[in-house]
Amino acid sequence: MPTIRNWYKTIYHKLFHLDDRLLLIIAGSIAGICSGLAAVALRLSLESVLEWLHGFRHYGWAFIIPAIGALLSSLYLEKIAREGAGHGVPEVIYSVSRYGGLLRFRSSYSRLISSFLTIGSGGSAGPEAPVVMSGSAIGSSLAKFLGLNDRQRITLVGCGTAGAIASIFNAPIAGLVFSIEVILGEWKFVNIIPIAIAAVAGAQVSQAIIPEQVIFNHQPFLVGASDILPSLCLAVVTAMISVLFTKVLRQTGKIAKKSSFPLWVRAVVGGCTVGIIGIFMPVVLGEGYHFIQSMISGTFSMSVFFIFVAVFAKIFATAMTLGWGGSGGIFAPCLLIGSLTGIVFHKALFSLFPTIGCASEGAYALLGMTGLISGVMQAPLTGIFLIVEITGGYETILPLIVVSSISSTMSHYIEPASFYFKELIERGQFLRPGTDARILSDLNIRELIETEFIKVSENMVFRKFIEIIKTSGQNFYPVIEDGTGEYKGVIQISAIRKYALDPGMYDMIFLNQIMDTGMMTASLENDLQEVLDMMDINNMDSISVVENDRFIGMILKTRILDLYRRELIMQTSVH
Amino acid sequence: MELSVFDLSKHLGVAPNTIERWLRQGKLPVSPKGANYRFQTSELEKWASKHNINLKLSNKGIPEKERESVTPLSVAVKNGGVYSDIQANDVNGVLKACLEKISDISDDFKADLFDRLVEREKALSTGIGNGIAIPHPREQLSYLTSPMVSVCFLEHPVDYKALDNQPVSTLFFLLSPTLKMHLHLLSVLSFCLRDHQFTNFLKARPDSVALVEKIETLQKANSI
Repeated sequence: MPTIRNWYKTIYHKLFHLDDRLLLIIAGSIAGICSGLAAVALRLSLESVLEWLHGFRHYGWAFIIPAIGALLSSLYLEKIAREGAGHGVPEVIYSVSRYGGLLRFRSSYSRLISSFLTIGSGGSAGPEAPVVMSGSAIGSSLAKFLGLNDRQRITLVGCGTAGAIASIFNAPIAGLVFSIEVILGEWKFVNIIPIAIAAVAGAQVSQAIIPEQVIFNHQPFLVGASDILPSLCLAVVTAMISVLFTKVLRQTGKIAKKSSFPLWVRAVVGGCTVGIIGIFMPVVLGEGYHFIQSMISGTFSMSVFFIFVAVFAKIFATAMTLGWGGSGGIFAPCLLIGSLTGIVFHKALFSLFPTIGCASEGAYALLGMTGLISGVMQAPLTGIFLIVEITGGYETILPLIVVSSISSTMSHYIEPASFYFKELIERGQFLRPGTDARILSDLNIRELIETEFIKVSENMVFRKFIEIIKTSGQNFYPVIEDGTGEYKGVIQISAIRKYALDPGMYDMIFLNQIMDTGMMTASLENDLQEVLDMMDINNMDSISVVENDRFIGMILKTRILDLYRRELIMQTSVH
Repeated sequence: MELSVFDLSKHLGVAPNTIERWLRQGKLPVSPKGANYRFQTSELEKWASKHNINLKLSNKGIPEKERESVTPLSVAVKNGGVYSDIQANDVNGVLKACLEKISDISDDFKADLFDRLVEREKALSTGIGNGIAIPHPREQLSYLTSPMVSVCFLEHPVDYKALDNQPVSTLFFLLSPTLKMHLHLLSVLSFCLRDHQFTNFLKARPDSVALVEKIETLQKANSI
């Protein structure tokens, strides 16, 4: 053992004393490989269990399979892993912005297991968000293991995310872009290189292990100038579908939360609903990669009407799965809904204009996917690069950009916050680097508080107080009760000027007669945003901080400005 | 409702120049109409809620602070009245004798008021020097409807433990329902008592009408 420990120590120190960037690149590629492995493991196990369960699908009772899966998944998350349901991406974003990317090691496998149960049993959800959660937790744990600081940890969280996405789609650039666009929210030179390397590592892992099962085989599409106009129309359709999908997802979740059923009943109800829909429309079950593949290759055979209904069935099934206790993401459902929409659009287009010379069904399925990803996640770059990488060429890039930009703009207009951010914005936890909210949340009341002050007693005669203010430069004086030391009020020099200039008053008044008792006070638990709002509304330049009736200190606007500026400089500086 | 650049600058609490710069930088929702910019209230409200900006367009500007009307000293003295030739030997005796004379306070409150005055004298004498004292309670007297200053002249000066150790012969009983009025009357009174003419005038022991008149002229001259 001692030799191993020494060996570990040497390596650790060697690593640690490396250049910061080199260290991040090495650690990032490890994170990328690990999260790539996690993604591959989830994919392989999902495929085998879906295949195994396929044998039972024709039985009448098969509709309860998703219910069992959702039940086990919610019980696992609730009782064993003790983590909240949902897809996990907002948690990762929040952790990155608030806690320097600190995530529990447990998260690196708990979501994999729960989403395996949900999706494997047929629940309509995507494995990407769980993999993202897992990848970022791996990155975070790796950073903890190496004893890195917050900034480096955030980079590794980004690396884990990128590796996971890159691995599951075999699309390294999409992984890089998703990680930066959605998770980190800032394009920084120091982040991009490690994350890019992690993404490539993740993609290589999946190629090495399951080369034949890469989700989307590269295939060329012939897309010409005649497709521009149809893709404009498709973009409008996908924007509508995106908004509908987001709204239905959120509403169903709200209804489920309002119902008084225990968690496991909810999961069973949601699972059964999905199972029943799945009897008539197997396309809604699971993550649906097979269907997407067949749609892209043009071998998908369903009637137009049936596909049209399937779009809404899938939206509803996903909402029932995720809103009612299942675990998984929305990425794969987005892709499936997008490709279904694209195919419906294509078919409708051909029935209206049979002579139109536009691209194949598969190409429109891809355009639909871009539209949905851009619309729901409002991450246009992720949408574009994912599809570019899937098609393996730049022939489609023009219609892709058209669809992506129009879809994301339109849905942004209707629903300003994307699905990932909406929750965070509502909770006031959307704190992108360099924004006002972020700086205010980073600055702590304790950092701002001015604690050096002279306290005065409420029974002090004014003359004595005049002697004190002659020699001290303080502008505010907390007044406390004799004996108990309780906070009574505050005297501001500006407010008592007229008495201070009148010597006849010196012996006539006591401090409790001139102190200000009606002033609002803050407590240490308040965050800076609340304190600033208080000061704004009441037009105050300073506010006392009182905790348990004890005066703790004063917060001055000038001090806030000073620290705010320094914080802004620190947060936006290039490392 | 439409707002001009100036209106908006008032609502947001920034200079009109700032609003103009924001307009130039394209940060405010506005549709230019001719040379002047007009802001739509509904658009502004939407913009403010989206950007987490505290904007209150409903009430016009910042409400001016309500100015509580203060009673002039002359009126308070008229309320309180002037009493002379009071006989007493020590502080407590003076207070007791004077309180008995003051007719505007109901007898039910006199015992309590006496205790409070004594307590105040114990904390620090209200004898401000030059033979003058301003006895008053530290707490406000909520049962009074309006503030009153009762002036009492003693027959013989009494050792009041005043700050300059001189015996006191003139007392201003300052009784007020609110702290604000109390402080106001106290500061006006202390201003008057710094006036030598006024203190000399007091030595002549004027009656209520003459005293009120004198105070009124002082108030007018100094606009207090």
